[in-house]
Amino acid sequence: MPVNHSHNTANALEVRGIGKRFGGFWAVQDIDLTVRPGERRAILGPNGAGKTSLFNVLTGDTSATTGQITLFGDSVTREPINKRIQRGLRRTYQHAHLFNGLTVRDTLFLAVAGLRGSWRQVMPLRASDARLAEAERLAEVAGVADVLDRETSELSHGQRRQLEIGIALAEDPKILLLDEPAAGLSPAERPKLSALLKSLPEDVTVVLIEHDMDIALQTSESVSVLYNGRLLAEGSPDEIMRNEDVHRVYIGGAHGH
Amino acid sequence: MKQAFILIPLLILPFVLNDFWLTQVATRSLILGIMALSLSFLATYLGVVSFAQATMAGIAGYTIAFFGPNTVGIGVPLPFWVSIPLALVLATVSGALVGLIARRSRGIYAIMITLAIGVAFFYFTRQNYTFFNGWTGFSGVRAPEIAGLSLRDPLPLYLLSLGMAALALALVSGFVRSPLGLTIQAVRDAPGRVLALGVSITTPIVAAFAFSGLLAGAGGILNVWYQERISSFSVGLGPIIDILIISVIGGLRHPGGAFVGAVVFVLLDTFAVDLIDRERFNTLIGVVLLLIVIVAPGGLQQLASDWMARLRRPEVKEKSTVRANS
Ligand SMILES: Nc1ncnc2c1ncn2[C@@H]1O[C@H](COP(=O)(O)OP(=O)(O)OP(=O)(O)O)[C@@H](O)[C@H]1O
Ligand SMILES: [Mg+2]
Repeated sequence: MPVNHSHNTANALEVRGIGKRFGGFWAVQDIDLTVRPGERRAILGPNGAGKTSLFNVLTGDTSATTGQITLFGDSVTREPINKRIQRGLRRTYQHAHLFNGLTVRDTLFLAVAGLRGSWRQVMPLRASDARLAEAERLAEVAGVADVLDRETSELSHGQRRQLEIGIALAEDPKILLLDEPAAGLSPAERPKLSALLKSLPEDVTVVLIEHDMDIALQTSESVSVLYNGRLLAEGSPDEIMRNEDVHRVYIGGAHGH
Repeated sequence: MKQAFILIPLLILPFVLNDFWLTQVATRSLILGIMALSLSFLATYLGVVSFAQATMAGIAGYTIAFFGPNTVGIGVPLPFWVSIPLALVLATVSGALVGLIARRSRGIYAIMITLAIGVAFFYFTRQNYTFFNGWTGFSGVRAPEIAGLSLRDPLPLYLLSLGMAALALALVSGFVRSPLGLTIQAVRDAPGRVLALGVSITTPIVAAFAFSGLLAGAGGILNVWYQERISSFSVGLGPIIDILIISVIGGLRHPGGAFVGAVVFVLLDTFAVDLIDRERFNTLIGVVLLLIVIVAPGGLQQLASDWMARLRRPEVKEKSTVRANS
């Protein structure tokens, strides 16, 4: 699916009235979001606020119960996930979700070949394949170059999360949805992640779910706060810090519940 | 190319074995092994157990019978260099169709759907006389003569089966290292995640089934030459279960296991009948299957390689101490 370049002025992501219901329970309700191209947005909220459910609806991992989603001006509400990915949308999963029988190298290779539309080839891979070189570069960037030939089932928790990021960075992402990428990383790995996020090209839009308020406020220019599936507040990190609602329900709630 | 060394004893085999052993045991094992490989491939790399492999093999076999010499006077004789590729194409297409029908099913549901396809084909062959000659099917099917060499003779048929088995294994090991083969394995591990790579999952599933149809078809062609006949019984529950049993005995972790399973199955099938009566054979094979599932869920091939690894380990240690001393 070619990416539509005629919408340079359009917002990277526009969400209107998104809701997701599981049985009788609304995990996400009535969410409006507008994210500019190149914006760094944090999504903040306590456990169970609906952050991951919102991502699942944005990518198409699950379908929206209500509402509309627009990527760079094109409505994608009815599109399957693979089409949205081909438009430049990428995500990482909070609970790494990988191919246990494949090596890190093969996994990253598939991320590249999948997006280049060249995964249908039936001849054995050659070591000189350019896509393998690209897979190695991604492994380098994501910090998993030392375990390239390990099966992903043998990776540590932190390595699995880094591999998730490597996959998401394949083939020029336009919007990155990162679901708590720092969770489970060792103290030594965290600064590397921050550096990696800062090194992303400026035109890449990043929406980052972060549990940790400090990290969220430091790494982003705007923040949306979710609470009980609804949007509670939105604004610059400063505004969010001063917001009384946020203080009352989020900071209080994080300790209280 | 370590595997190629296994070919050497297999090439010497015809000089050691008499015709009975060569044909009834060796050639038959190779042919059943190729059919079982089509199932092992699907189970190992797509994670789907299919009961329709005998159907795909049967479609190739019926094509050879219908478009070749037979003694029932049905069909259109074509030269073998047309009927053989046609049989392979039809088997591959039938595999793709089964994959298309079963693409959303996994586990027990895939088994049920493919079993339903297999059984439906079995009844269809019994009722259709135009193409399948009903219940009786085809007899007098003859393997072709190529350059004066009749493929009906024990040695040429053995060598051909051996060559096809080696080719099938080589194809499998090459295919699973291709981008499509890797995608098939990714679908096995996490189909939702494959979609999240921007890749559809229908194509890899259908392709895996089509490839398994090609393998089954190759086995089905050899089988109809070997048996010289084909009928509804060749695609019934019996062969469906035999293929499954062979795959399970051999183990699903390595494609070569299918051939180990086939040898064990054929030896039991050939010689158990002398010791116990025909009726008890099913009991015997059932007990063997049960033992393997309990003692070695990875199959005999896995059991053997575990033992090999255990035997080898002390040897490796010795070598490394020698190196450290010198
Ligand atoms: N598939 C599902 N079926 C039913 N309920 C679900 C499902 N997925 C999520 N939920 C519920 O929706 C609510 C929001 O969950 P979600 O995972 O989106 O929260 P979150 O903000 O990501 O939380 P966390 O910070 O723990 O990751 C929770 O109450 C959860 O139990
Ligand atoms: Mg979450």
